Amino acid sequence: MPNRSGFGFPRRSEAGQSIELKKAPKSKVEWADLIRRVGSDGDREAFTRLFEHFAPRIKGFMLKAGCGADEAEEVAQDTLIAVWRKAGQFDPNTTGVAAWIFTIARNLRIDSVRRIARIGPSSQDTELADAPDSAESADIMISRAEDVSRVEAAVGRLSADQSKVIQLSFIEERPHPEIARLLGIPLGTVKSRIRLAMNHLRDLLDEEQ
Amino acid sequence: MSVSHHPPEDLLASFATGALDEAEHLVVAVHVACCAACGRFVRAMEMLAAAALEDARPVPMAADAFDMVMSRIHEGPVAERPRPAMASMAVEDPELPELLRRCRIGKRRRVAPGVSMQPIELSGRGTARAFLLRSAPGTRMLEHSHTGTELTCVLKGSFSHQGGRYGPGDFDYGDDDVDHRPIVGDEGPCLCLVAMTGELRMNGFFGRLINPFVRL
Repeated sequence: MPNRSGFGFPRRSEAGQSIELKKAPKSKVEWADLIRRVGSDGDREAFTRLFEHFAPRIKGFMLKAGCGADEAEEVAQDTLIAVWRKAGQFDPNTTGVAAWIFTIARNLRIDSVRRIARIGPSSQDTELADAPDSAESADIMISRAEDVSRVEAAVGRLSADQSKVIQLSFIEERPHPEIARLLGIPLGTVKSRIRLAMNHLRDLLDEEQ
Repeated sequence: MSVSHHPPEDLLASFATGALDEAEHLVVAVHVACCAACGRFVRAMEMLAAAALEDARPVPMAADAFDMVMSRIHEGPVAERPRPAMASMAVEDPELPELLRRCRIGKRRRVAPGVSMQPIELSGRGTARAFLLRSAPGTRMLEHSHTGTELTCVLKGSFSHQGGRYGPGDFDYGDDDVDHRPIVGDEGPCLCLVAMTGELRMNGFFGRLINPFVRL
């Protein structure tokens, strides 16, 4: 197994809840439009709405991922500052708003961990440089629109059970016994369920040509 | 570039959620940057994570959070801190992928006949080390095993072991079960990016002899 740097992802408290993958197209377009308004006009009202929706969710997400309260607050604030500054670069054809914001928050969190390691927590510089951060430069951008719709279609075709097992295992990082209990399956089959789901996702992505 | 060896899916998933060790993140990133199929897989994982973010229970922000954010926005971006001078190697080596040209790379040193390594300087928080490994054409690496995991992405040239032939872009995942003896292809020098946890153990008489000096 790969080493994990401690950036776990939130564990859901209510087992019965499922993650809603398909957001209504209307809200999707609306978020993208708010970002566009921030990017082109520095629209403060649009930014306020983005802040009110996403900042508390990023904070909740980071708290569950094991961040301290200060760090979760900081990552959420820094993410929204980055959303303002990078809004002009957002391209709705290549990514969704939530996925874009997730990658910004993820990279800020990775970089904050590395910055603390480099210079020690006492002198940490919490300001954001305008230049791309290192996690961002280690990021990859599939910037072709056809690729993104292909990925979206594949994720949408994943069965509810399979996206559930992937989320429990990799996004929420739950231990296998817990996954077994939540899905009501024998512990011995958890590993193969995960593998099947991952292989199926791989196949779906290959099929969506 | 035709890539035929890919990282296991669980590694790609951990890469997408930011859960990988820094050195391992770098090696996977270099592979993903040149492999469209793995890029799509990572993007799919990001979409699943984004759905989880949308679904996260909102936790109220600090009372002054919005004002703090707006005032920092109006202060404007902070100028980038001057980066420490890059090791000279970065300039000499246009063969390195973009991602690696941004890294600080240490001094090259010989570790065995026909083999040299250059450490990649990371933040120091991770448990894995990353380095570039250069091997002369036709080099037969000593039979070796690992005490941890070894992630490799071929940048140039090729090597082969019982798992097959690994050319540019190919990804090799070795853990402590693997006991192998790679042979570098004859077509030219082989350059690999490696992330390694634990120790590399050379097997056999000669290996045991040089082991104390190798310290990869």
